[in-house]
Amino acid sequence: MFLVQAQPLPNKIPSKNIQNEGIIPDAPKQVSQKIVEEKKMDSLPSKTNRYGLRVGIDLYKLTRVLYDSNYKGIEFVGDYRLTKKYYLAAEIGNENKTTDDERLNFTTKGSYLKVGFDYNGYENWLNMENIIAVGLRYGASTFSQELNSYKIYNANRYFGEVPVLVSGEKFNGLSASWIEVVAGVKAKVINNVYLGFSLRLNRLVSNHKPNNFDNLYIPGFNRTYNGDFGVGVNYTITYFIPLYKKKVSPKK
Amino acid sequence: MKKILLLLVLSLFSFSACEKDDVCDANTSTTPRLVIQFYDITNTMVLKNLTNLKVIGEGMSEGIVFNGNGNMVSIPLKTTQNTTSYSFILNYGSVSYSNEDKITFNYTRENLFVSRACGFKTIFSLDATNPYSHTDAIISDLLWIKDIRVEKNNIDTENETHVKIYF
Repeated sequence: MFLVQAQPLPNKIPSKNIQNEGIIPDAPKQVSQKIVEEKKMDSLPSKTNRYGLRVGIDLYKLTRVLYDSNYKGIEFVGDYRLTKKYYLAAEIGNENKTTDDERLNFTTKGSYLKVGFDYNGYENWLNMENIIAVGLRYGASTFSQELNSYKIYNANRYFGEVPVLVSGEKFNGLSASWIEVVAGVKAKVINNVYLGFSLRLNRLVSNHKPNNFDNLYIPGFNRTYNGDFGVGVNYTITYFIPLYKKKVSPKK
Repeated sequence: MKKILLLLVLSLFSFSACEKDDVCDANTSTTPRLVIQFYDITNTMVLKNLTNLKVIGEGMSEGIVFNGNGNMVSIPLKTTQNTTSYSFILNYGSVSYSNEDKITFNYTRENLFVSRACGFKTIFSLDATNPYSHTDAIISDLLWIKDIRVEKNNIDTENETHVKIYF
């Protein structure tokens, strides 16, 4: 649906009248917007848009491994430019995190994949290629949890506080899926290298919980104890591999 | 398009359930105590009030219950062992009328996950064939408890009576 709407249809057609005739049956609203945009661009020199694949890595997870001994994780990111404003985007990662809480200590291990799109709302000047985008992802994770130790809650401490119990019980074959709303920026720092930052809000769609425990942390989703919500960030460095160019021809 | 996204973000948040999850809520059902009610042995349907009952766990210096009258006590069971012994002292403080009986409860335990904030709770199941043993104290002074009946073997909530004691 999104792809059809976003096709830069008017670019190849020089005459305004023909444009309208040709496009009205499909999406009349879009067409009128395009015309307005092109009028604004009248004075700009011609420019080309580069299309291609951008791949990279999440620096946030990479650096967290250095200072957080309870965390091991990696995330690869990638996007592919489909149209002028739309990018197919995906993240794939693996996490191994030990959560040490007051009453629980558990280790979550697993992989995740997020697939969706980004919409670049930023109108670049000349040959700039920066991105200020909003996007959506569908995320899914498969993982296991190991309960390392726990405490019994006893409101009546007549016999004293119960010591920490060592468990070691393992819960395998767990899974969860979620929808993620993404807001992010990517700035070109040198030639084809971009630095990016994104903020993510997640909402669980499905959550396959173990018996007698809970999925308090889901790889890729983050901690789950704020209801069904999660938040996440990533801080990426990416390399753009240009595949082809499209000329953005100014009107007349 | 932007409007659609904005709408999505808003709808995501509208479903937000604000859970205070850092402190274990006092209303959460956690490790239950054993609930005992006292009945009249001469008229087994009628609750009977105790006078100055003191219930004290074996090896403990302080008692759980020590005050005026009542016909119900809730006592914690040990979550680290399968037996818990209590001394039930009637007319505590009176030199001539005080009487001490000892009851040992035998049970099995199960630890259940509650939540991140509460951790786990222990629920108990009184032994089906030998749920308790009832003996006199070291100083033999006859048993003041005449009969003990287990109403509920499974102790998983405090909202019900598990054991009835007749005297």
